[in-house]
Amino acid sequence: MKPDPNDPAWAWAPFQPDGARPWDLRLAAHLYRRAAFGGTWPELQRSLSEGPQATIDRLVHPTPEAAAFNRLYDDYENAAAASAGDGSQAWWLRRMIESPQPLQEQVTLFWHNHFGISNVHVKASASVCRYIQVLRQHGLGRFEALLDAVLAQPAVWICLGARDNGKRNLSDSSIRILMDHYTLGPGSCSDTDAREGARALTGWIISQGELRFVPGEYDATPKKILGQEGDCDRKALVRILATHPATGQWLARQLVRWFISDTAKPSESLLAPLAKQLMSEGNIAKGVEVVLRSNLFFSTEAYRQKVRSPVALALGIIRPLEGRTGTVQLAADLSRLGQELYEPPTIKGWAVGLAWINPLTTLGRAKLAEALLAESGAYGGKLDPAAVASRHNIPANDGGRQFLVDLFLQGDLAPESVAALAAGGSATGSIDARSADLRHVAARLASLPEFQLA
Amino acid sequence: MRISRRDFFKETAGATGLLAFGSSIPAFLARSAAAMEAGQTSRESVLVVIQLSGGNDGLNTVVPYQDDTYHRSRPTLRIGPDQVLKLDSGLGLHPAMPAFRKLYQEGRLSIIQGVGYPRSSRDHDVAMEDWHTGVLREQMPPGARTGWLGRAIDGACDPGKTDLRGVFVGEIKAPFGLHTERAVVPSIKSLEEWLPTGAAWSDSTRPLESGTPAPASGPPLLAAVAKATVDARVMQQRLIIANGTLHSQKSAAYPPFRLAQNLALVAQLIRADLGIRIYFVELGGGGIGGFDTHANQAANHGALLRELAESATAFVDDLNHDRLLDSVLVMTFSEFGRTLTESGRRGTNHGAAAPMFIIGGRVKGGLWGAHPSLTDLEEDAPKFHTDFRRVYATVLERWLNLKSEKILPPGFTTLDGVLA
Repeated sequence: MKPDPNDPAWAWAPFQPDGARPWDLRLAAHLYRRAAFGGTWPELQRSLSEGPQATIDRLVHPTPEAAAFNRLYDDYENAAAASAGDGSQAWWLRRMIESPQPLQEQVTLFWHNHFGISNVHVKASASVCRYIQVLRQHGLGRFEALLDAVLAQPAVWICLGARDNGKRNLSDSSIRILMDHYTLGPGSCSDTDAREGARALTGWIISQGELRFVPGEYDATPKKILGQEGDCDRKALVRILATHPATGQWLARQLVRWFISDTAKPSESLLAPLAKQLMSEGNIAKGVEVVLRSNLFFSTEAYRQKVRSPVALALGIIRPLEGRTGTVQLAADLSRLGQELYEPPTIKGWAVGLAWINPLTTLGRAKLAEALLAESGAYGGKLDPAAVASRHNIPANDGGRQFLVDLFLQGDLAPESVAALAAGGSATGSIDARSADLRHVAARLASLPEFQLA
Repeated sequence: MRISRRDFFKETAGATGLLAFGSSIPAFLARSAAAMEAGQTSRESVLVVIQLSGGNDGLNTVVPYQDDTYHRSRPTLRIGPDQVLKLDSGLGLHPAMPAFRKLYQEGRLSIIQGVGYPRSSRDHDVAMEDWHTGVLREQMPPGARTGWLGRAIDGACDPGKTDLRGVFVGEIKAPFGLHTERAVVPSIKSLEEWLPTGAAWSDSTRPLESGTPAPASGPPLLAAVAKATVDARVMQQRLIIANGTLHSQKSAAYPPFRLAQNLALVAQLIRADLGIRIYFVELGGGGIGGFDTHANQAANHGALLRELAESATAFVDDLNHDRLLDSVLVMTFSEFGRTLTESGRRGTNHGAAAPMFIIGGRVKGGLWGAHPSLTDLEEDAPKFHTDFRRVYATVLERWLNLKSEKILPPGFTTLDGVLA
């Protein structure tokens, strides 16, 4: 098959390395950046020897310890949300850093972005925390189950503007969010469908922070939604929306935007096979797997074609350096750079791509890299590239600089830059000098334009 | 010692080390950075919004001192003809605001009277959100809302570019008015928070960048990020100067108030010519104090108005000294005014219409619109005659040159006679 990113058959076929696209450190790191917020040196090395498909098996299949890990973190998170508030965001960042199944956190963040529920409106961290846990629990399962669980969350109804949705219907604009943004995509349903859909959601009322069904407030007269007639209640509406072919297309587009490229504008026909996969089994994990295994994912259409979000930037420094750095400060720093967890700007989620970047956020990003890698200060110097290098027995002939280039930017640093780096008088002397030098080089690499791209 | 805007460009010329980037930076990037370095960018109009948090008592800000109803309704809070700072038409400013009377006399202060909106809320959060969004709450689900300034910033950002168009300067969480759908609007408590201090950043943007693939021919995303990095380097140099001279600037003219300190920083950022068009600062929020003067209003309100008037006037004088005032407009707002009748606790309760101040080098000056009647009230508060969205439309269309129809709901015409 001839490589053609617009040909659905080629685009979604599993990637097989060949002479033109060999399996190398660049592609292995690309996979780990997109699926796991970045890979450690041992992860990248193992991936190099196992090949892409076996690596993806490892990333998508939950390890036995993941369940135990998540149970523990749910408890920590709930406790934090119940007491102070912002602490639960720090717990989520720590979960992203330490999770045995980082893909699950990446997908949870994807859904957080997709539904765009914000604590700016909910004003109750515990409620948002519970909603995020629902996203995690169902995020790789059937979309219908996810949507059903999401629509059982008070936080969602508050953001939709439906605090007390008795027989008074949801407003047109609220139901439009559910249909045009959460499921079918824009332009797939008529005003009548929207009005009828709103009637299906009557009877649900938020009282004392809980969502309750009041049968007397439910409008039980027959409805006709997207061609389907009957006494359609919330569950039935969820089924109609979650299984509609337009939903498959729309979710496929969102997955491509999240995992493959900020800039690509895939055609409907390109998306069709992925949409069908998502809809036929209704299983999100299978869809994510198709994306990650695909030729398109490993093509130049995808490679470095995403701007790292602040979360992806920070995790892209911390995870490869195997750090256990503090996340309370990190949550505050990421918020300053425009990504406060629990608070996506609107129900459309964060604006991906170049919107993250302006000259001041560029300085802020460099400042964060500097702080993360400093020997002391807010992050306590817990990231130590020299210690990582010696743990993996990296020969220190250049003081470990090439190791950092391979770990952070692989082959994507121009030869002149590599030369400039080598000419910078590396410290091969004392252990302390080498440690300071590698911290400096790591911060320097993380400030480069290339590093801002995932 | 004062620093002038020329000092920024004198001191930064060459300091950004553009020559060190070498030949791989494409010519057009080097040119644009060099132009920015020399301060040759065309200066666009700048809006500075000051939020007065808590509901400012309009009747004791712009005082109807000849109105008997006013005096009868406020036995202890009333400000008499002998205390008020007289303007025109039987109105005067609160005695704590001689600084604003000076601006008024210089023709740099416009007062828009009777501003509010239909069925206005008297709940702080709801009313503030109405003012921040410019779209009344029932018309849009919470999750879809953005701020009116946020929409202006989104509109002023070209897709594919990486310009910085708006910032919040202050200690509290950035107000919802700056909430965007796309652009990141940074909050600045202090510049130190934003400036890398180590060698890693400067090293990475100097020799290493000279080896990056030429952005003009490389992938568009990388080119755009590389451009932002070049701009960031210029910005960093400017910010270092701005920060380093902030103290001398402040001691030159600004009073030692928090609002004044924040405005001094805004003035530095304006001088540094960073392309930022919208600044937002705030007075009264964040816990203690504030304009929500239910009890023992007199001293608290006077102090707040003094902080506002002296800070804003120092800011105006500073910009004027540097001949920058013609490109800057200051606008104040609060979520509501207060009731006419003084409460038993020598305070006032949540009200409705209130005046807004518009300040700058190119305002018409004077009073705009009639003072609201004190006999035709709405639940004891003055009624509005001018919707606040008309003020927004005026600022957007006639000051920022942005199309208000993309930012505000339809039907809000601009006001004549506010701007020169």
